[in-house]
Amino acid sequence: MKSYAQTPPGTQIVIGQAARRRRVLERTICSVFEGWSYEEIIPPIFDYYDVFAKGMGTGPEEQIYRFIDREGNILALRPEFTSLVAKTVATRLASSPKPIRLYYSGEVLRFEKPKGGRQREFAQIGIEHYGGSKTADVEILLIAVETFQRLGVQAFQINLGSVDFFGGIVDRMELPPDQIAALKDVLNVKDQSGLEALLEHLPLGDRRKKILRAVPHLTGNKAVIAEARELVRNPRSVEALDHLEEIYSIFERLDLAQHLTIDLGEIRGFDYYSGILFRAYVRDLGFEVASGGRYDGLPAAFGEDLPAVGFSFSVDRLEQIVTPTLPIADVEAATIDVDKGFDKALQLRRSGKAVKLCL
Amino acid sequence: MLVIALCKGRFLSPSLDLLTRAGIRFPEDVASSRKLIFNSEDQGFRAVLVKPADVPTYVEYGAADIGIAGRDVILESGADVLQPLDLKFGYCKIAVAGANGISAGAPPNPSRPTIRVATKYPRITMDHYNARGIPVEIIPLSGSIELAPLIGLADRIVDLVETGRTLKDNGLEIVEVIAESSARLLINRAGYQTKRDEVLHLIQALERVIR
Repeated sequence: MKSYAQTPPGTQIVIGQAARRRRVLERTICSVFEGWSYEEIIPPIFDYYDVFAKGMGTGPEEQIYRFIDREGNILALRPEFTSLVAKTVATRLASSPKPIRLYYSGEVLRFEKPKGGRQREFAQIGIEHYGGSKTADVEILLIAVETFQRLGVQAFQINLGSVDFFGGIVDRMELPPDQIAALKDVLNVKDQSGLEALLEHLPLGDRRKKILRAVPHLTGNKAVIAEARELVRNPRSVEALDHLEEIYSIFERLDLAQHLTIDLGEIRGFDYYSGILFRAYVRDLGFEVASGGRYDGLPAAFGEDLPAVGFSFSVDRLEQIVTPTLPIADVEAATIDVDKGFDKALQLRRSGKAVKLCL
Repeated sequence: MLVIALCKGRFLSPSLDLLTRAGIRFPEDVASSRKLIFNSEDQGFRAVLVKPADVPTYVEYGAADIGIAGRDVILESGADVLQPLDLKFGYCKIAVAGANGISAGAPPNPSRPTIRVATKYPRITMDHYNARGIPVEIIPLSGSIELAPLIGLADRIVDLVETGRTLKDNGLEIVEVIAESSARLLINRAGYQTKRDEVLHLIQALERVIR
């Protein structure tokens, strides 16, 4: 027989004070979301596999835990919340007044290498905004900022890009999908020499090669947007730049621009992203703690064409930064000797006091 | 202060040399000392010496903000790190090699439908053959890879080839090149954002030196 002392790889057990800290962290974040009029949605822990496959696209779908029910349906443990929420909004909430603001908090499961404090089962907490205008992008970014501030994290950086900037550039190039994928691979890691090697074989003019060479460097403050404007003329990229500039200007006016970095070389993420795309980092933690963006196409995949934007925090990673400073109130419990009966204990409980029985 | 992970071994001296030329000086005894941590003279950098294969891990986790390692090591690790610069030393190839006179297309051993490949690079090898739909059995070894085909342990090997001398001396030759490798600068994704000025400053300094 197998030893049950150890839990399966990728799972963990959180006990006592650590569990209390986690709940306080989650509660603090949820209260920020509620403060911006987001309502909680508690989706099921499993759903039909197709729901998630549609949302995650090819590649990451391999990480989904799948199983077959007694009727032969392929089911999956939720690997993320966005597909579930988008499906619910597109179906059950289709006739609800817009915009719809929802938040979720819970565990998701992915078959991936445990990394940076994130196991195969890990906690996500996030918001989704459906059917609003493009300005909803600003709303969710401000909520992310407030969440960090409320948690006492000062040294955080939000790295903001747009799928449309790069999308507009490659649309014009009419490259086959495998070459676009190869381009994304080298740009994602800012690999200059890898990019040069690819460009040698791509049938592109000098102007287009120059744009691609610039992409990994288009990261920094507002000046980057001006720099990018010199390079592109296609409407999709230009619109993306207009929008990023608008967001940056709003952050400047709110005196928050120091937390925002424009990164036009940021093109990673699930297939469903369609507009802005962002990741948040905290100083001295090697992994992102939050990520999000716009995914207008996702509700349409479930039958309702609605603009959508959202983000999620990785609780397990945030916890590593936040818990030491998060105040956890200790509960003082009165010790009761039960030899003299249980009356005293009940009396204290009725008046809301904590008790600890001495048995 | 930025933490730099450097490879112990043959990469150490060219790495230190490059950093010195970029204005980052460490005490002279880095290469000969048994210590594993060194601060630069201006205290702006801390070098940690680790096994080459571990450099991507240190950087991916952010235990080191930056690192210097071969592309072969990065590919094999599968680590998600930024790799902005080719540092132009440590050139070699990751190649499939086999006994002399066998062409790339021919089955190396007609009596075995699945070829056996001995390597220190199981991940690169698997990716290479998976992309071509060729079934292989990978035999992970940690050294003297050239020996495997000579005594019948494997049909092919996947290994680093610098001059090709070792292969030649053992009656082997390159069947196909999988990738070119050289030293790369690795940067942690989060560090690139949260320590941006220091990181960009270093990239620029190194860029000037390697040009």
